[in-house]
Amino acid sequence: MLIKIDGKECGCKHGEFILEVAKRNGIEIPNLCHHEGLPGQGCCRVCIVEVEINGWRNIVTACVYPLERECEVFTNSPRVIKQRAMVLALLHSLAPGSSEVSELCEKYNVPSYRRFVKKNDTKCILCGLCAKACESLGTGAISTVNRGTGKAVTTPYGEPSYECVGCASCAKVCPTGAIMVEEGAGSRKIWGKKIPLLKCKKCGEPAGTYMELRRAAEKLGEGMPELCEACRKKEIAEKLASIYGY
Amino acid sequence: MPEQNITYEDITPLLLKYPKDQRHALAIMQDMQRHFNYIPRKGLEALADYLGCHISGLYSMATFYKSLSLKPKGRHIIKVCDGTACHIRGAVNLVSGIERVLGISADEVTGDGEFSLELVNCLGSCALAPVMVVDDEYYGKVTTDRLPEIFDALRGEARP
Ligand code: SF4
Ligand code: FES
Ligand code: FES
Repeated sequence: MLIKIDGKECGCKHGEFILEVAKRNGIEIPNLCHHEGLPGQGCCRVCIVEVEINGWRNIVTACVYPLERECEVFTNSPRVIKQRAMVLALLHSLAPGSSEVSELCEKYNVPSYRRFVKKNDTKCILCGLCAKACESLGTGAISTVNRGTGKAVTTPYGEPSYECVGCASCAKVCPTGAIMVEEGAGSRKIWGKKIPLLKCKKCGEPAGTYMELRRAAEKLGEGMPELCEACRKKEIAEKLASIYGY
Repeated sequence: MPEQNITYEDITPLLLKYPKDQRHALAIMQDMQRHFNYIPRKGLEALADYLGCHISGLYSMATFYKSLSLKPKGRHIIKVCDGTACHIRGAVNLVSGIERVLGISADEVTGDGEFSLELVNCLGSCALAPVMVVDDEYYGKVTTDRLPEIFDALRGEARP
């Protein structure tokens, strides 16, 4: 199937999302809550574009809009520019502490609306990617709680979670770096919980928390890993090299 | 019932009414709310255990829905409408009247656990504004001088 994005012809598969096709073709569509490993969040609305089918134009969210027929996509039409500016302005008032959001505001010339009150300096845009990551890893230590203006991401009862293994995947997927991870000498602190880190036997760098490594080992049915990710990869590469005699 | 007096014997029958399936989570939580007047922590933990799911997901639901609460509510729940019509006809006075009579403001519970107060939006009876609902009983055109009488009659009366 062929579609046009900003005048450029792009090939795509039936059902593919606009954002993927655009990315493959080097067309930039700003986005925050999209993560390749955890698709379908579709809640920040920064990725909106305009789609024209049979002369009808609609604003859609590029990260979750499946391409089902030939169409033309506009990523910078006047309507997109205007509505995206509003979305960004709202996100900025929700998360004034986020440099990612302020940078997008600057990049897309978002005016500052005085009627949007900034209540705090949080970085969180409440996209829920962190909770989704935690859930999909089978840990399920955090979730979105409350609703409306009180909505937030926390552990149950706001207490250090006994389920959290300290893998910090939530912090890794967070588009705005809103989750605090403190890595000290021998431990990592996240969601109010301190978990000891294991050191890599080879390079001495932290290989991960004790709990996350044990969880991974259990899942794989292997013993506790002794090396960090980088050294593990290096070891595999060396093994392959010796097998194939590079 | 305070949390420390709640036992698993109290909770288990509520769980066993439903099959072990996550789609019943909300129904079970509603039953707990009705039974204990709130969702005790032990209840939430037992439910997670029963359904084999994470407590975080249940906690998320319990904090999302207004009809569920994690803190004990009063035996009688007073809902004062603060929708447009009631607001204009003095819902705010009603709220301060209740504050004077019972000493609680919105989302609080009286010390004896008899009453809790909630503000709601239009109850669909604007002609009766300002409207107050206590335990599903409607009171229309409420004036603050009627409040002591209404609450006195309810005090000590069994919960419906
Ligand atoms: S902490 Fe980050 S990932 Fe989680 S909801 Fe907030 S912005 Fe999204
Ligand atoms: S990236 Fe598409 S809605 Fe957030
Ligand atoms: S506004 Fe109170 S019943 Fe309609």
